Amino acid sequence: MRDKTHNEQIERWARYVKENPNWKKEQKLFLDSQLINSKNKFKKILSLPDGENKLKRIRNLN
Amino acid sequence: MKRGINERTILDKFAEDFCEVIEKHAKYIICSGFVAISHGRSRGTEDIDILIEKINFEKFKKLHEDLVKNNFECMQSKNSKIIFKEYLENGNSVRYTREKEYLPEMELKFAKDEIDSEQIKSRMKLPFTGLDLYFPRIEESIAFKEEYLKSQKDLEDARHLRIIYEDTLDENYIEKFKEKIRKVKLK
Repeated sequence: MRDKTHNEQIERWARYVKENPNWKKEQKLFLDSQLINSKNKFKKILSLPDGENKLKRIRNLN
Repeated sequence: MKRGINERTILDKFAEDFCEVIEKHAKYIICSGFVAISHGRSRGTEDIDILIEKINFEKFKKLHEDLVKNNFECMQSKNSKIIFKEYLENGNSVRYTREKEYLPEMELKFAKDEIDSEQIKSRMKLPFTGLDLYFPRIEESIAFKEEYLKSQKDLEDARHLRIIYEDTLDENYIEKFKEKIRKVKLK
């Protein structure tokens, strides 16, 4: 179970989103950076010996 | 309000491009986590869930070929017959990505019961998201997260959606839909 401050943060952010039309710009930075970071890490894994197979195992594709 | 190109996230663009192809072949809804994320929920995800109406193999073959033509690939197989027979027809999902990319993923599955079909039938675009995508009615997404999925993440998603739509939510509809979930999905 998450603590009280975590729940408060969910509520605080949801209210911010509701009241600020510019929320998307802030969310975009956060969401895109997560994917770009993961993609860069995947490239590093692919450069390892047997990288493609390793990545497939990580992604449960084998 | 459709969002400007520069405001759309990588996930938004991926979902809109994918669904533009799907819509030519079958009715769909985007469900689960991306519903909350497209309403501003501050959590990451690598995959988007899409539920499509059940279609026969011939139709699916055309859909799959159109996805491939538009530079998407299925991670489970390149063969539409295998995807259809071994996965979709058995109630399993398959995952599509942009060609030669491992993420984001679109997790695609067929509607398998009356609730799924009903959600697709009453699908709608949600102006708050600014996205050209079809979603289930928001009360249905909340009911699913609170009554069926129920993980910490899903309950937090529902809480976020409840705040965004607090002035317009039909609580009676949510309760009735939860009842339906209990009868059909949790029996």
